[in-house]
Amino acid sequence: MSNVISAKNLTLAYDNGRKEIIKNASFNIKKGDFVFITGPSGSGKSTLLKSLYGQLKPKEGNLVVGGRDLANISPRQLQELRTHMGIIFQDYKLINEWTVAKNVVLPLMIAGYSLDVQETQAHRLLKHVKLSEHADKYPLELSGGEQQRVGVARALAKNPVVILADEPTGNLDDYSSNVIWDLMENACQQLETTVLVVTHKIPTIFSLPYRHFIIESKGVYEVH
Amino acid sequence: MKFIKNHLMFILPLMAILLGIEFYLVFDRTTDSYEKGLKEGYTMLVVAKKPVTLQKLRQLNPHIATLEAIKREQIVSEVAQGVSKQSKKEILAALPYFYNVGLDSYLGTAALEKIKKDLEKDSTIKRVETFGSSYSSAYRLFAFIKFLLKVFIGFMGVVSLFLIIKQMEIWKYAHRERMQVMEIFGAPLMLRAGVLFKVAIFDAFIATLLTSAVFLYVKFVWAAQSGIDLMMQKQDDLFKMTDMAILLGVALLLVIVAVYTVVFSNKGVQE
Ligand SMILES: Nc1ncnc2c1ncn2[C@@H]1O[C@H](COP(=O)(O)OP(=O)(O)OP(=O)(O)O)[C@@H](O)[C@H]1O
Ligand SMILES: [Mg+2]
Repeated sequence: MSNVISAKNLTLAYDNGRKEIIKNASFNIKKGDFVFITGPSGSGKSTLLKSLYGQLKPKEGNLVVGGRDLANISPRQLQELRTHMGIIFQDYKLINEWTVAKNVVLPLMIAGYSLDVQETQAHRLLKHVKLSEHADKYPLELSGGEQQRVGVARALAKNPVVILADEPTGNLDDYSSNVIWDLMENACQQLETTVLVVTHKIPTIFSLPYRHFIIESKGVYEVH
Repeated sequence: MKFIKNHLMFILPLMAILLGIEFYLVFDRTTDSYEKGLKEGYTMLVVAKKPVTLQKLRQLNPHIATLEAIKREQIVSEVAQGVSKQSKKEILAALPYFYNVGLDSYLGTAALEKIKKDLEKDSTIKRVETFGSSYSSAYRLFAFIKFLLKVFIGFMGVVSLFLIIKQMEIWKYAHRERMQVMEIFGAPLMLRAGVLFKVAIFDAFIATLLTSAVFLYVKFVWAAQSGIDLMMQKQDDLFKMTDMAILLGVALLLVIVAVYTVVFSNKGVQE
């Protein structure tokens, strides 16, 4: 009942169900859990995250996120649910015609915060990811690693209930990676944010207890 | 350049629709009075042996609305110029009574024939001339032109609407990524489609202004010099200021429908 995410015999597939990526996966994730997800390239890590934010409907089985059954969620409910999620994409998905500052506060804009609040928050968030001096630039003027940090700042903007991160440190050096891990640890520890992170490398310095899922041969297994 | 081209691709078809609507409004107004003129100007000729009254004719057929006697003395003096006074008197005595009879509404040839029969049943009435064929052919031609115009405007409207939606799709494609990102972060439709609404509403205003300008020109410059009586007399009917509100309303409605169509055609969560 305190499960934020609950999957039961979950099967995910592309191409109208013909191409199965994940089959019969079952797992529960509680509020405040920190979960690392690893697995070979092409195993379905991004696909699993996609299903969690409702971009891919389950082919079979049950998937409940934030109390909503994602197989039968209405567009309105999905929209509402998504405002409680902080999503970090493998390919950043920044809005290129907006400044970095505006990109970062997208969730606040959607929530209807005033421009004043948006501006102060943009400043605070960019400071956290060490990008203060880039506020007025456009995403394409930044390096890959910098863009990725903009994506992280955006995901954290509204203190989401769940963070779904796809390779958030994929393009970062050790120093920047540690900045990101610190931010996520803090969110998890202080706000009881549930965090799911897809990564190919679990950080060596990590102070919180965490869980580790491996995706392999269409299955999702937890490592104990 | 691309910016201007994109907007023109949207504004021009929108203007085509608005011009069609305004043209129809104007046509309807000017022709309404022309039709009225046709109706009012129409009379039958009734020839009677003895004087008749309007009441009497009304009893014979209820469509009869007016009765106007043609002065017999005048006819005689025209027909019998240079004839002696005595002869004139004789002619006058022998001459039947002539009347112009007006009707209460426009009637088809069949109805006119029925009136003719009804009247001729009465023994005092010698003859009724309806001039039915020339009257109804003018009217029919008129109705036909009006029908063609409606079909043409309707057709143009449909084609233009397609062009508008096509252009909308191009815009949506240009803004697709942004709209998708916003959607994933839970932005409501209005926020996601905000840019589309903004350009579309802006263009609706521009199209309305341009169309109004065309009609103001027609009203104040072209119509005044046209030499067409109907247009010169009815100049005030050509373009009413309230038409601008009608056009703007239609333009806004169209673009909002176009935006919604395009935004909602982006269906399916599956990739
Ligand atoms: N939209 C799609 N349509 C069809 N197949 C897809 C689609 N997206 C991904 N796939 C396929 O699904 C499989 C899993 O892809 P996914 O992106 O989930 O892998 P991943 O584990 O995230 O890999 P990586 O570590 O390289 O990011 C791959 O074989 C991929 O080709
Ligand atoms: Mg991936």
